[in-house]
Amino acid sequence: MSRVPYHELKARERIAAICDRGSFNEILPPPERVMSVFLPELGIPVSFDDGLIIGRASLNGSPVYLAAQVGQFVGGSVGEVHSAKLVGLIESAARDKIPFVMLIESGGVRLHEGSSGEIGIAESMRAVFACRTLGVATIAVIGSDIGAYGGMGIFSACCGSRVMTEHGRLGVSGPIVIEKWMGKQAFDSSDRALIWKTSGGKTRYLLGDADVLVDDSTDAVRAGIISLLGQPAPVTLGSVSADQQRLEARLVQFGKTTNPDDIWTASGVTDIAAASLASGGEFANSYPKKSSAQ
Amino acid sequence: MEKFQKSFPSAPLAWPSGKTWSLAGVVGSANLEVLMEPGAAADSAEFDVQTSFPGYQDSWLAALSDFSTHYALGGTKVTIHDQGAAPVVITMRLRQALDQLIHP
Repeated sequence: MSRVPYHELKARERIAAICDRGSFNEILPPPERVMSVFLPELGIPVSFDDGLIIGRASLNGSPVYLAAQVGQFVGGSVGEVHSAKLVGLIESAARDKIPFVMLIESGGVRLHEGSSGEIGIAESMRAVFACRTLGVATIAVIGSDIGAYGGMGIFSACCGSRVMTEHGRLGVSGPIVIEKWMGKQAFDSSDRALIWKTSGGKTRYLLGDADVLVDDSTDAVRAGIISLLGQPAPVTLGSVSADQQRLEARLVQFGKTTNPDDIWTASGVTDIAAASLASGGEFANSYPKKSSAQ
Repeated sequence: MEKFQKSFPSAPLAWPSGKTWSLAGVVGSANLEVLMEPGAAADSAEFDVQTSFPGYQDSWLAALSDFSTHYALGGTKVTIHDQGAAPVVITMRLRQALDQLIHP
């Protein structure tokens, strides 16, 4: 297996490394210049792809609709054009009954563009649920340092399944936001170990939020996505009820917990120091998979 | 935000058949993205720059002029979105975009 670190790559490099060689066919490529009209008004440079690259590709010979966020561009934030591209792609996946895969790297809505990003994320979620109702797989991949926060954290949880690496983080409010509201005693945003142990891939995997936890390499991420292509996770009354029960039980078990190590210990991790140093793949091999989030 | 356009003489570049664009870099802090497309006069390179850091046009034009002299870029339109890249980064991204065209 190649050891190209997934988290160090930029969005276009990730696409090239994960798809079948040469199979990616970009929709609205850079020369189309579909770009934000809001950012220039604020003196912020625009990007040809508005921070989201979308297209058709094949994975292990199977067709997919693929999206990848550019975390370096305004934090991977979801603006008007960015979200319009995303909604269109997911609706195409529903129409053609082809799995939707998204390489996420975003702090959520692009606040510079006001409610257009908020509306766009809501429409993306509705499109994801349309896919799931039709039995189309929807897979969120979270393996970058920025991770999936804010609206994109919620969006990730709406997808049928999630692939994470030990570098990925999944949450709603980011660490700095929590510290600003609750104080440094409650959550120290400079404590990287605390942040990753609270919202990182390993803890998300133990809690059942990540379906697959893999090494931080493009080959491992690709294999993780391929393993989920045939698992559409349809939304039914039964699946929603089971999810509700799982989350209620989690609240009872861990609602008062102040140390994320408690979650690891209760999940059967005996040597926390060793588990902290393990790669995603090693960690997943050592600890049994909990039931899926959805 | 500052925007400017400028053309420089440059030896003709034979665009590989089937290639209609080449992109390098991302718009991020101290970084920039470069898009190369065919369509300029055969013996000149056309640059269209927008940068969020105004006041450095002389440095920009020196870097773009140097590049047009040292590399065959004639016939190419170059569009740049910049967020404060240093001249050495500008040159590197231009080389990366050109390299993708010549060695796909």
